[in-house]
Amino acid sequence: MGFLAAGIGAGIITLGAGIGIGLIGKGAVESIARQPEASGDIRGAMILTAAFIEGVALFAAVVTAILALGITV
Amino acid sequence: MTRILRGTLITILLLLAFHPTAIAQDDASQGEEEPVIDVMGKIVDHDYLEVAGAKIYLPRILLVDGDWYFYSSTTAALESGEFQEQDGVLTRADGASVSLDMSITSHLMYVWFGIILALFFTIWAARRYKRGIGKTSEPKGVLHNIFEVLFVFVRDDIAKEYIPADKYKKYITYLFSVFMAISFMNLFGLFPWGVSATADLTVTATLAAITFFITQFSGSKDHWRHVFMFPGVHPLIRIILTPVEILGLFTKPFALAIRLFANMLSGKILIVCILGLIFIFTNIFGPAVGIGSSVIWVSLTAALYILKAFIALLQAYIFTLLSAVFIGMAAEEHDHEHEHESNVAVATDINQ
Repeated sequence: MGFLAAGIGAGIITLGAGIGIGLIGKGAVESIARQPEASGDIRGAMILTAAFIEGVALFAAVVTAILALGITV
Repeated sequence: MTRILRGTLITILLLLAFHPTAIAQDDASQGEEEPVIDVMGKIVDHDYLEVAGAKIYLPRILLVDGDWYFYSSTTAALESGEFQEQDGVLTRADGASVSLDMSITSHLMYVWFGIILALFFTIWAARRYKRGIGKTSEPKGVLHNIFEVLFVFVRDDIAKEYIPADKYKKYITYLFSVFMAISFMNLFGLFPWGVSATADLTVTATLAAITFFITQFSGSKDHWRHVFMFPGVHPLIRIILTPVEILGLFTKPFALAIRLFANMLSGKILIVCILGLIFIFTNIFGPAVGIGSSVIWVSLTAALYILKAFIALLQAYIFTLLSAVFIGMAAEEHDHEHEHESNVAVATDINQ
């Protein structure tokens, strides 16, 4: 049961984080195309925001790892 | 000249493609019940360093009920009769479990290697600057140029950008050393027999804890005010907001540790699994298919190695960047006269 939950959870996490980071990438690439001289700032902001989304996704990944390993807290 | 180099490179690549299959055949002939490839065994911490196929056993330091035990290796601990092994875990002969295991492990050794290499590199560069190279003239040599590029990058693009202008100089030392140490630790995983120490949660948690303490000790009055008495909101909302803010103090470094750990670990697992496909194919379909398919897996691994080298530097950069952002957010001082405007300024700062 824990394995099932972990598998489904990991899939949903990947979906969410993928959509989020994809939207950031879309926004960043569009902004760079519109204003190439600001590419440095935009890249920094992009990595920072992506890192925050990744952080949330990793929290969920830890929960799935706990489920899969059967650790009872 | 280039043709000779290219020829040697292709020969080495072909040799590399066939070498694992030879080992795979040896392994396959040994035991049937054993799993074909032990993925976790390649990833977890060991009590030995592996160099060119030989194992160097590292000392064990154990604390059991207030008594310290020192042994030169795990076998020495077992031979002394004071310890016994149960399911890979050492326990004292009378059954008491180890209360604190301070043993030197392979991951710890690689942390030291990373730190020592970072120290050597920076001290070497500092001596050159003292002699005037780079100060009065341009930096000479490839290494010196790499050092200057990295240092200027950390100073201008990370520290100056995210930490208030009057305070950032204090934190450059920490940010640059953590950047260098993490880069070296990550890149050690690319060497043959090398281990990336950052694929261990204890290592990344220690690094994140240092960032956490620096952040809290450099926190300005405004930082603490925002945590306990968020300005400009209704007092009842503060009942919800204050616990969330206090929780936020701890989740930031936690995410920092998990991020680095998960990224390095996933890279490691991916490479072990893809190379392991050679072993699995040899086990199922016989050596011919194993040798044939190894060309695909080894070239895929080579491509993954390039990605891994990039991720190693990127994760070091992200760790440093987020450390700088957290320190900057804590060290920032706002204008007390315009509380609402300052809130908006904080919001835009985070969004930037």
